[in-house]
Amino acid sequence: MSIEDQLRSALRREPAPPDFAASVLAGTRRIASPFWRRPVTLALAASLLLAALIPPAISEHRRRQRAEEAEAQLVTALTIAETQLERVSATIQRNTRRIP
Amino acid sequence: MGLDFVRIVEDNQSLVFSLAVRFLRDRECAAELAQDVFLQLYRQLHRIETPAHATWWLRRSVCHRCIDEARKRKLRPRIDIAGIPEPKAETRQGDFMLNARLRKFVEMLPDQARMVVLLRYQEDLDPSEIAEMLSIPVSTVKSRLHRSLAFLRGKLQRQEVYP
Repeated sequence: MSIEDQLRSALRREPAPPDFAASVLAGTRRIASPFWRRPVTLALAASLLLAALIPPAISEHRRRQRAEEAEAQLVTALTIAETQLERVSATIQRNTRRIP
Repeated sequence: MGLDFVRIVEDNQSLVFSLAVRFLRDRECAAELAQDVFLQLYRQLHRIETPAHATWWLRRSVCHRCIDEARKRKLRPRIDIAGIPEPKAETRQGDFMLNARLRKFVEMLPDQARMVVLLRYQEDLDPSEIAEMLSIPVSTVKSRLHRSLAFLRGKLQRQEVYP
């Protein structure tokens, strides 16, 4: 046998390990469903998003509440001031009429 | 498209794994690389037209990945051609032992020459196909084959295995 024929015989393809095809197909499933599309990852991402959004929303709500309270107090103060001014004005007009 | 990927894996796993294991001389590393090559094909399956095209693509891809891997890991120094003890040939034990020795001698060839020999004698490609696959001139393929055969013949003759 020539060395070339001997090489052909020596270098015949050898079988892949028994679990080779299964490993490849498992790999394709990972590609078809990448980690960022899996339900657990999506749930985790949603939780993180909520955790990031909720504290600023609560803070904003509290700020508005304080602003509304301050507005109400201002309106009350202005109403009181207006009433007092009206009384003072009425007193002045009464006294002015008495002076000939 | 309509290509059956499972069928492609079944039909070509031996080709891809054999090339990788004989080139890299490391079964675990070869299996890993071969898997990567198939997964790369899976991502590009839309570009593959026929099963023959898939085989061509896999062969080309595994060749280049093996050469890159060898460069990266600098596998060559692991075997010193001059220093390696040759297996003893007490008698002509038949094809099994001769084939095993021949495979050992092929492992000693430099990377590029080893790939050329594998493509020629494992995959039965002719020099022009090998040249196209490895993107080198046909004359280079022929000279590498010639030198590799001379090296292998010399090794076998020294063992009085081959006249």
